[in-house]
This record gives sequence, C-alpha cells and structure tokens, in this order.
Amino acid sequence: MTPERFAYLADAYGANLERWPLAEQGAAQALLNSGNASAREAVHAAGWLDAQLDSHQLAFLDPALTRKIRQSAPRRASFWSRYAGWLSPAGLVGVGIAGIVTGMLVASMSVPLPMVSAEVLPSVFDQGDAQVIFSVNAEDTEQ
Amino acid sequence: MKDTDPDVELLARISNNEPAAVNEMVTRKLPRLLALASRILGDADEAKDVAQESFLRIWRHAASWRSGEARFDTWLHRVALNLCHDRLRRRKERPLSDDDTAALVDTTPSLDEQLEAADRSARMAAALAALPERQREAIVLQYYQELSNIDAAALMNISVEALESLLSRARRQLRSQLADTPGLARPGRGTS
Repeated sequence: MTPERFAYLADAYGANLERWPLAEQGAAQALLNSGNASAREAVHAAGWLDAQLDSHQLAFLDPALTRKIRQSAPRRASFWSRYAGWLSPAGLVGVGIAGIVTGMLVASMSVPLPMVSAEVLPSVFDQGDAQVIFSVNAEDTEQ
Repeated sequence: MKDTDPDVELLARISNNEPAAVNEMVTRKLPRLLALASRILGDADEAKDVAQESFLRIWRHAASWRSGEARFDTWLHRVALNLCHDRLRRRKERPLSDDDTAALVDTTPSLDEQLEAADRSARMAAALAALPERQREAIVLQYYQELSNIDAAALMNISVEALESLLSRARRQLRSQLADTPGLARPGRGTS
C-alpha cells in the first residue's frame, strides 16, 4: 500500500484500521508497522477527528418512549380473545335459541289445554299412584 | 451478508408474540435507531417519532421476515433512513436552530468536566448539522452506526468509491470547522 492510499483511507474511514475495508487492513497495518512517517501522521490526524466525533453525546434514552414502543408491539392473545371472533356470534345464536325455547315453553304452560275426554288423552294422573305401581308389578310377575 | 443474521431468531420469537423478545428487540435496536435519526435529523423529538414508526414496521414485518435476502439491521437502517428522508423533505432543509442542537446533547450540569463535555458535544452536533445531507448521512452510517462500507454504500444507493469520497469530504469539512473552534487544537497535518 502506498502512503497516499493510506492517507486517502484514513481520511475516509478514520484512525481505527478495524473500520477500514477488510481487504486493505493487512497492508495498512504493515505500512504502519514499518514506521512510515506519512502513515503515522495520517493516523494521528484521523484520530483527532475521531475523538471529536466521539464527543458527540446523545440524550439518554427516554423510559417513556421505551414503554410506548413496547406497548405498540402485538400482544399474545388470551384464550378468550383468540376465540372471541367466532365465540361472540355463536354466543348470540345460542342465547337466541335459548330464548325461543324458553318462550315456547312458557307459552305452552300458560295456554290451557283444550278439554278432551279421558279416552282421547289417557294420563297417569287419572289413576292413583298405588294403582300404577300395582299394575306395573302385576305385569312383572306375569312375565 | 451470508453469515448468520443475529436478529432472525428474535424476529421469530416476536412473531409468536413473546413479550421478552419484544423487550430484547427494543433494547437492542432503540439506541441505534435514535442515534441514527438524531444525527441525521438533528432533532431529538423527530428522532423519537422515527424510532416509533420504525418499530411499528418491525412488529408488522416480524412474522413474514425471510432471512437470506438482507440483514435485518440493514433493512431497519433503510426503513429509518427513508423515514428521515421523508421528514427532511417535508422540512425542506430547514437549518438547525440552536435549540434543536441543544436538544441532542445530554446537558446534565454541575461538574466542570460535564459542562465541558456538553460544550464539545454541542460543537460537534453543530458541525455535523452543518454538513451537506449526503455527507452527514455517510458519516453517520459508517462512523456512528458502524456499518460496513458495503452496507452503508448500498443503503445510500452509491458505490463504495462514492461513499469514500463523501466520507473524505465530510471529514475534511468537519476538521476545518472544528479546528476553527477556540480551544480545539488540530494536529499539524493539513487536509489532503
């Protein structure tokens, strides 16, 4: 590497050879190690500017900003929120059906049955409990 | 470019909505994004806005991120840089006021050393702000953000040679500007 090339790279990349293009680092280090005065001077001048650049401080991180950014991230969905999309319509339908069924039940209980004869509509209420039990037992014994 | 991208695994965890991964990404990238935007824009509040917008893009793209095309950090720099460009365009190259420059500096007062450091920092911020936009961008990407010359050139859509030219001119201007500042002695070597 020529001292001119070295000075050009120091002007562009600064004094730290590790920040130079990888392919040039070895040759640059070799030139510096050889004690080349021009190369040393270039590094010295670049180092001065690096120190100025490093003096540029930035404001501390604002915790409120950090919090705000964290909160802007998508959150893990809970079990209920994961199924909320189809659970709520399904729930509405379920409630609707339950309402209809309840309504039908209440209506059927409040409307008196038409008077029909016992022959048409036999009922267990037409006979006493004892009779039912006895008749069932009688059937069992017959079998 | 082909080596393992250290951010890919973190992105996968973010796409699974892991809160710890979100925290780690913020810790890892927020200082870099703020540093980039602050130095490009010269305005701390605008830099915060850019950082927030950049993170929204991260959250949006985490699930669909495909490794191998570009390093995530380079992509993120491109996103932030584009957001900075938008703001600079809107601002129409409004020169930095003293207030803007002061906002970039940690002005913790009290000790003389701290005051002196703050003073030097303010001078450096002013010198940086006075650079032409492209030169400032080159210095910020290569020096402060520590991107490789290839990545920085790619982000700026220029060749490595053009980047080196911008860097040289930027450093030369900074040197002459800072050398004129009282109390900052410049080493003997002239500019090349």
